[in-house]
Amino acid sequence: MITSSLAVARKDLRLAFAGGQGPVQAILLGLLLVFIFSLSAAPGELFTPQQAMAIFWLCSSFAVVLIFSLLFRFEEENDTATALLLSPLPVQGLWMGKTMAGLALLLMCQVFFFPAALVFLGLDPGGDWAGLALMALGVDLGLCILGGLIGAMGHGQGAKDALLTIIVFPLQIPLLLGGIRIGVGLAQGLPLSGVADWFGLVMAFDAVFAGAALFLFPHVFRGE
Amino acid sequence: MGMNYLFIANVCIWLGVGGYVLFLARQHSVLERRVRQLEIIDAEE
Amino acid sequence: MFRIYPKILMILACASMAAMAVGQYAIWFHAPEEATMGLVQKVFYFHLPLAWWSFVAFFGVCAASAMVLWTGREHWDVLAGVLAEIGVLFSGLALVTGSIWGRAAWNTWWTWDPRLSTTLVMWFVYAGYLVLRSADVGGGKGAKVRAVLGIVAFLDVPLVFLSARLWRSIHPAVLASRGGGLEPEMWTAVWINVLAWGALFGTLVLARYHGAGLKRRVEAALIRIQEKTLQ
Repeated sequence: MITSSLAVARKDLRLAFAGGQGPVQAILLGLLLVFIFSLSAAPGELFTPQQAMAIFWLCSSFAVVLIFSLLFRFEEENDTATALLLSPLPVQGLWMGKTMAGLALLLMCQVFFFPAALVFLGLDPGGDWAGLALMALGVDLGLCILGGLIGAMGHGQGAKDALLTIIVFPLQIPLLLGGIRIGVGLAQGLPLSGVADWFGLVMAFDAVFAGAALFLFPHVFRGE
Repeated sequence: MGMNYLFIANVCIWLGVGGYVLFLARQHSVLERRVRQLEIIDAEE
Repeated sequence: MFRIYPKILMILACASMAAMAVGQYAIWFHAPEEATMGLVQKVFYFHLPLAWWSFVAFFGVCAASAMVLWTGREHWDVLAGVLAEIGVLFSGLALVTGSIWGRAAWNTWWTWDPRLSTTLVMWFVYAGYLVLRSADVGGGKGAKVRAVLGIVAFLDVPLVFLSARLWRSIHPAVLASRGGGLEPEMWTAVWINVLAWGALFGTLVLARYHGAGLKRRVEAALIRIQEKTLQ
């Protein structure tokens, strides 16, 4: 299943970049959000690390919505969804592939969001950013696990898939809180053990929702 | 002051629950009337 | 499958009204005034049952959603919608009363109490769920989509609670404590009101479910008339 999931992910990434767009829309939206939020501070006034991390994760959250909307739109054309379902690929493999592609695209977006947060929001680059990157991967994984499941629900719904965002954002709150606290803790020089409980929560979220998605994805994508 | 807050809390609760009960009652009466009308039309057909 | 006999509903309504009357007596005459917070503490006798029954409702949404996926029967989907609606009402009222209580007791409209924070997040999730139901997201597989949402939403509850509890540990200045232990008369008032609100909850669920049944009868009659007209 892993091999076929990777094939799906490769296919989606190729399609995402073939149209010349890739994650451009998500990146632009995120950068715009960082800039707009930066206007809420007076000139010369700095954001606290907590505010800066909250804005960073909010941008990532919006990016996830756009990314998965793009990824699931590929199967709406020419009824390729049916072709995929008829293939030997297990349906859960399709979810895994979408999640992996989404994760890759989200990481590409965050490569732009992070420097923007440094520049516009005054994030202090003196903390343990390597540790942050590692733990952020856990949060990103959770965002994509949920994004893959919710994206499947919006598949074939046209404009209605935008409505799904009103349920995605509150569901993501444990992840966002975790991401913010991990980022703030590491920026303040805490060791990795200092944010271990938050990382544990993030991993618990990922485990619970990955399990749920593996079981529930066929119901929403295949409608069985 | 505490009494004011207690009063406001009570008002909110009874307005909320009462409003919902009224909504249900109205919905039922509209639907029951509609069901009767349609059953008459159905019988005539 | 949808038919709730009006007589049963009437009996339940009368029973829940009687239970609520007993509950009100217990609050205002039986339970003593709390030493620290005074009379405003009595909001607790509404706040707690509302919060508890809203969580029962949300659990019910999850269970009914699981039944939709297992059996594929429509009435489980309708029941999930009914429970979500009442859960949103009750949790909304729990939030309002919790906020008022916080303002009266600790001079702050919002305390980062993990239970209150969890209730707020669940209110957002299930309000969103209701919006998606009314927009008929999912089309032909709408019932399955709603069922998956109903299950996923409830899986989030313990995670939200844990994250809110961890989050609050960095804000000790706004900790909201429920105060010391309750007197026995207060516990009696609590349990009477929990049961009374439970009876009301059950009545509302059945009444709303009956309304959904009426709506199905209207739709079925319209289809029959349309078919006869086309013949």
